Amino acid sequence: MSSGQADQRDSGAPGEPGRGIFAGLNVLDFTWAAAGPIITKQLSDNGAMVVKIESSSHPDSVRLGAPFKDAKPGINRSGFFADFNSSKRSVAVNMGSDEGRALVLRMAAWADVVAENFRPGVMDRWGLGYDRMREANPRLIYVSSSLYGDDGPWSGLAGFGAQGAAAAGIHGLTGWPDRPPAVPKGAYTDSTSPRYAMAALAAALVWRERSGLGQRIELSQVEATVEILAPQLLEYQLTGAAPDRAGNALPGRRLHAVLPCAGDDAWIAVEVRTDAEWEGLLGALDRYGDTEPLRKLTAVESLDRPAEVERLAAAITATADRFELMERLQAAGVPSGVVLSGSDLLADRRLRSHGHFWALAHPEMGTLDYNGPAYRLERTPSRLTSAAPLLGEHTDEVMRTVLGLDEAEIARLHANGVLQ
Amino acid sequence: MTDVPPGATVSGQARGGPGAALAGCRVLELSHSAAAVAGRVLADLGAEVIKLEPPGGEPARQAEPAFDGPDGQRHGFAFLAFNLGKRSVTVDTGTAAGREILTRLAAASDIVLTDWERSGSPEEADRLRALCSAANPRLVFCEIWPYGRGEYQDTAATDLTIQAQGGHLYLNGDTDRPPVRVSAPVAVLAGGVEAASAALMAYYHALRTGEGQQVDVSMQACVIWTLLNTTMTWQCMDIDEIRGGAVKKERGNSFFTRLVWPCKDGFIQFGPVGGGGGKARDISLDALIEWMREEGFFDEILLAHDWNGPNRFSVPQQAYDAVTEVIGAFIATRTMDELIKRGMKRRILLAPIYTVPQLLQAEQLTARGYFREVPDDRRGATALHPGPFARLSETPLVELRPAPDPGADTTAVLAAAGLTPTEISALRRAEVI
Repeated sequence: MSSGQADQRDSGAPGEPGRGIFAGLNVLDFTWAAAGPIITKQLSDNGAMVVKIESSSHPDSVRLGAPFKDAKPGINRSGFFADFNSSKRSVAVNMGSDEGRALVLRMAAWADVVAENFRPGVMDRWGLGYDRMREANPRLIYVSSSLYGDDGPWSGLAGFGAQGAAAAGIHGLTGWPDRPPAVPKGAYTDSTSPRYAMAALAAALVWRERSGLGQRIELSQVEATVEILAPQLLEYQLTGAAPDRAGNALPGRRLHAVLPCAGDDAWIAVEVRTDAEWEGLLGALDRYGDTEPLRKLTAVESLDRPAEVERLAAAITATADRFELMERLQAAGVPSGVVLSGSDLLADRRLRSHGHFWALAHPEMGTLDYNGPAYRLERTPSRLTSAAPLLGEHTDEVMRTVLGLDEAEIARLHANGVLQ
Repeated sequence: MTDVPPGATVSGQARGGPGAALAGCRVLELSHSAAAVAGRVLADLGAEVIKLEPPGGEPARQAEPAFDGPDGQRHGFAFLAFNLGKRSVTVDTGTAAGREILTRLAAASDIVLTDWERSGSPEEADRLRALCSAANPRLVFCEIWPYGRGEYQDTAATDLTIQAQGGHLYLNGDTDRPPVRVSAPVAVLAGGVEAASAALMAYYHALRTGEGQQVDVSMQACVIWTLLNTTMTWQCMDIDEIRGGAVKKERGNSFFTRLVWPCKDGFIQFGPVGGGGGKARDISLDALIEWMREEGFFDEILLAHDWNGPNRFSVPQQAYDAVTEVIGAFIATRTMDELIKRGMKRRILLAPIYTVPQLLQAEQLTARGYFREVPDDRRGATALHPGPFARLSETPLVELRPAPDPGADTTAVLAAAGLTPTEISALRRAEVI
């Protein structure tokens, strides 16, 4: 590991209990929006010192994106930004100035990992491309994630995850067959590509342990997302039939549907695969209505007439409390889950029990529940150590501890507008 | 790390080559679906991934949708897709002799991947973990469960119910119909890929410290991560986002925005006005207006509001609908190809909504040589597969090889684990392997 850890809180020997897997790992983080910061969040929430390079002229764009706390816009008030940037530090430096870029380049020797998700070419124009940084530090692992990749006719095009998910085939596979694609919430490339990027980054760290060498990882967010559609691509090529959006239908299931429950926009998802689950379903529904029409259907009939099964079941579930019904279906061994809204998620006891949410205090936004990692590490637990940083909150600290600048020099750089 | 030198494998035969990032890393995979997805990621990175299957092969091999191959077997598409580049050992772990084999393999491995469908019950997963971890304290034991391990590990779940419990379904579809899923098992897929990255983090730790551990992945939590900002929207603004099909009301917008637009020969994704901010959106709208002007589709309403300005989150719905009608009428007259060439490439923030067949022809993907043909004539499954998910400059992802036959590597793997030919024959006679 490189030297120069700033803060006892995040430093310490690797493997020391409570320090996290990446304790001692230094990360120079140029990422912005979602697809990049979600990668470096895996590092910061596991003990790495992640220094986010921003500027007040070009802040991370999701700092400008709703939802803002109490609906009041502000550079430090976006919940969108907050969730992806826990446990990180923020340095504000004018990247338009030669001196600013030179300061950042000096941090290459300190860093183990550099991460960026600009359009290809931006880092090179700043003189901060991989080749330049590697000269300063051959052990550096340099991660570049862009929407369409480094080369090819679309590489220079601007775009966000919403465009990426469309071009990756996810939109087309979502929704009802008789209607236009429904566009799943959350730009899918923004959540899928960080998982692949983190796997590649962890593998590069492993290889560095063996070889002593760093390398560059280049990833197209669209390509990383098309990976998950490999079965659909195969099905089309081998059968000539193109998988398409199919509503909630799934062949071979006696019930595979989202059914209404009592209340406004209240729903439950239920899947029935076996005779035992079918009996369980009927037993659970008995108390809410007449299950006789369902009971009259043979197994073959229920498989052949999914719309009828759904209609009959929906007529019964419509009077049921969604959570109570889930309890009853679970007791009967039937796969089922209440369709949870945003507020439901925050109240969900299953998520709470897994320790998913982390309450973190922020000077402008107050205490909010941040999403934590989806994995739990038994011996080296992840830890969200702080809320998202204010823009430039750690500028002076990082200049002192990472670059060893004195107060007079830091003051001069502020006065010249190099530091912000 | 086991005591095998980097680049070597159990059989002494290099897999992925010494140039792969995970050369020398051995993975045991006991999977049904999600763990196979995880194993594929590690295999691509050069790990030696050994599937442990029950005699005859795991049930996932025939999981639907599937097709009948010329070899007389039924082959599931997901199985063929997510088991490229692996080896297969068939062993009955229900027998004492089978468990002994499992123990010996675990002692010489770095990572075990398993999922809830294969384990069947938390108790069975615990037995497996105890057996493997006792044989190898450096072992990373990674499990994928609908809700993770713990209090709710017994909740009966499938991909559909986890799409619901992760908050995904509520936000998908039209307001006049029930919430609708993505027609792909995205909860399983997200759980699998997440597990690959988490297992590798733990492996990195084990390499440096000698400390193995359990890694426990919650698919429900993986699905929440696909929403991006839904839980913050509730906390910051007391707003529960709702679904809206091709139109959406998200991130605290006070109005529905249209995201899907029919063109002459398909659909595009586009958010011309409202909601987002930043320079790229201004450039995009200006370029659109210029194009519409050239083609005689200009309308005063295009300039009637500062659509992407400070009030972009509170555009009156009526004004928004009026401007999108004008823009929609224009888009409907263009082909997808024109919209890409004349629109997207001139900085209009739109993208084609590709169908599965269109993906295989996609200009950018084919230009980068993304798809790779994997020959598999015996199964009648020779086809293009998604290529590398990332390009690593020093340790490229390995060449893709077809999924193994059940037990294809049983003898080689057991011999390398130190079993004699006589012992292997005896196990075969006893139908343990």
